[in-house]
Amino acid sequence: MGDTFSLVADGVSLALTWQSLLAIIVGVAAGQILGAIPGLTASMAVALLIPYSFYFDPWVGIPMLLGMFKGSLFGSSTTAILIRTPGTPAASATVLDGYPLAQQGKGMKAIKMALYASVFGDTFSDICLIFFASLLAMVALKFGPAEYTILIVLALCSLGMLSSRPAWKGLVATLAGVIIGMIGLDPMAATPRLTFGNPELEEGIGLIPMLIGFLAVSEVFRQMSGKAEDLSGRAIRYSDDPADNRVSLTEFIQCLPTLIRSSAIGTVIGAMPGLGSTVAAFIAYGEARRASKTPEKFGKGALEGVAAPESANNAVSGANLIPLLAFGIPGDIAAALILSALMVQGVTVGPLAFSQNPLPLYAIYAALIMANFVNLFLGFGLAKVASVAFSVPRRLLLASVLVIAAAGSYALRGSVFDVQLVFLFGVFGYVMMRFGFPPVPLLIGFILMPLLEENLRTVLLLASTYDEHLLFVFKRPAFLSLLAIMGVALLLVFWRRRRRALAARADA
Amino acid sequence: MRGISKLLGGALLAATMSSGALAAGYPDKPITLICPYSAGGGGDTASRVIAKLAGDIMGVNINVENKTGGGATIGISAVANAEPDGYTIGFISTSPITIRPHMMEAPYNPVEDLTYIGQFVASNQPMIVRADSPYKSLADLIAFAKENPGKLRWSTSVQRGGPHVAVEAMFKAENVDATFVPFKGGSKALAALLGGTIEMAMISEGNKSTLDGQTRILAEGTPDENPVAPDAPTLTEAGYPIAPAIFFGLAAPKGVPDEVTAKWDEVLPKVIASPEFQKIAEAQQWTVHFADHMAFTKTVETDYAAAKKAIADIGMK
Repeated sequence: MGDTFSLVADGVSLALTWQSLLAIIVGVAAGQILGAIPGLTASMAVALLIPYSFYFDPWVGIPMLLGMFKGSLFGSSTTAILIRTPGTPAASATVLDGYPLAQQGKGMKAIKMALYASVFGDTFSDICLIFFASLLAMVALKFGPAEYTILIVLALCSLGMLSSRPAWKGLVATLAGVIIGMIGLDPMAATPRLTFGNPELEEGIGLIPMLIGFLAVSEVFRQMSGKAEDLSGRAIRYSDDPADNRVSLTEFIQCLPTLIRSSAIGTVIGAMPGLGSTVAAFIAYGEARRASKTPEKFGKGALEGVAAPESANNAVSGANLIPLLAFGIPGDIAAALILSALMVQGVTVGPLAFSQNPLPLYAIYAALIMANFVNLFLGFGLAKVASVAFSVPRRLLLASVLVIAAAGSYALRGSVFDVQLVFLFGVFGYVMMRFGFPPVPLLIGFILMPLLEENLRTVLLLASTYDEHLLFVFKRPAFLSLLAIMGVALLLVFWRRRRRALAARADA
Repeated sequence: MRGISKLLGGALLAATMSSGALAAGYPDKPITLICPYSAGGGGDTASRVIAKLAGDIMGVNINVENKTGGGATIGISAVANAEPDGYTIGFISTSPITIRPHMMEAPYNPVEDLTYIGQFVASNQPMIVRADSPYKSLADLIAFAKENPGKLRWSTSVQRGGPHVAVEAMFKAENVDATFVPFKGGSKALAALLGGTIEMAMISEGNKSTLDGQTRILAEGTPDENPVAPDAPTLTEAGYPIAPAIFFGLAAPKGVPDEVTAKWDEVLPKVIASPEFQKIAEAQQWTVHFADHMAFTKTVETDYAAAKKAIADIGMK
């Protein structure tokens, strides 16, 4: 026991130097700024730094990188909230309630909630990583295409309740999203689909140009079509009431169940290679709405609607390290970059690392926790800067958003085609808004349906290799447990409805 | 008027000077290296490492430009259509050069439109099964597949890439029917293998997972011996049609001056021998493998022809 303690102490002390603290501060600050700029991502910055990583001391380079990823997730939510421009796709669910809050003058409240939620989600998943990494990784490995399918169906069920009236408009919007999502290579046969022979379309419509165009540019067009005198006013007003510019303790406590639930969702999804932070954010948002006593407030500026996606997407980034540290399997591109940075520094990860050389793992853990605190403190600074930066007159802001949208989508992969897509989706989003089609079903169709297709078709392909055919899924314990959870959730919904109906009758 | 003629004269002078300089010493200005893969992937890392190290040796800046899309064909066609002066080159890997053009229309002809500057990485493609799997050898695996048509589930990191074609060619030669289950990337295929969704995978990640004791190597899908399992036969050693090289290399448009390829033949080995490159290669799990302009051109031409035949035999489209 004493030995373990001294091992932990030795490992932690590797990362507890002023150099690594400085590196974390630089990393988090850079990440927050990069995250706020659409099209620039922390992964891109890290990729640019890899040829130089050789020259860094390990416990400067690695903490900086971890800080960068954490910072960028919060940074991307500031622009999502203030100007409806998600800096990364993971923040697109934050737009749904964050932007309405900002329009009501409660932008600072939303940003601070996003900050607390991000740090909460990060800390939650880091603690899970530290104490349950091998257990969670074992469970996550049991999740195959059949389980992914049922998870996505679960998400669609809870998000389906987001559909607005009239129902047919929601349906049309979903279908439009599905069709846009179908463009590209067929997930099973790898043959081009709906590309009209254009190689630019072969890898599908990029998430970033689509989201920036559909959410941000369309909103610019809508505001431009307003009265000319509106355009000279302040772009974003902040309420004079201090209560609208901060998150009170009561509000935080009210959001606590949402934060815990969303962080848990993010951690589980992050531990599985294959779904990712955008999906986790939407699932957490749907679940927060389902569990809420006032679901009608969602989409109009509910604080839980910011807390849920923000804690979930940050929880994913910590949990992505779970399969990496336990099996050496990187869950996403960020984890893959962390893996290569670790290996450049001679730090190996994987099942043998725990028993053979756990020192660096403890140092990583210490760096992760430190980065969370730094993220919290620097986040207040970024919130302040963002609030000043976007206080310019509306006509200036609208023009800058168009420039940022074009530049950001070009920067991503040096493609003029993507810039064209941004404006095409801007017009499309504007037309949809004018005719009263809801945006959320389209996003769900675009983001979740391709995943559902890929996993469902994989299940069907796998079924052909089993004697019991499609029934093979019932031999999978993970599938059965998920099914049971789904059943209980449905029962709870019915029970609650019935109780509410009975209560209503008793009142009458 | 005088100003204009002076300007023109200056421009003319500059033009003659720069072409003179080209003959005297390539390179004398920044080089653009087009990477057809997005930032963050292995191809991007390789491009940036080569750009940095080769740029330091040659004393010029090498700027990496990511031009992605169309399964790397957009970036490669930008290289093929660039001015053949050696100042626009590109990063290339196996699939869009020797494999894909046989299955889909590519906007370039790999043999006629590109000059192959050199190869610097050869990645191993071990065929792996779980460590507790009943299949101890390639023969065990084939025997199972023969007795249970369609029941063997397997995958590779890229659908319709080199390893996919090589394994399909093996099954075709044995006349067995197995089920290819596509996953997006080697790490997802590895997770599916360890989780029991599939039974076999041919992925570069297999070397590390074997060292970690999670998997076992039955064979090697490229012509190079696998350092983790030196006894495992390559697919051609085992008597099957192809084992295509999985390479990282550099290419230029067809018709670049000989000085350009000569310069890179001199610089690339220095880059590869540098401790910086060795360390990053180890971290990325690349096998360092140098082939100069002549040798690399031969590799590409041989594999291109072999893949053409194999793909036609299998009937993959």
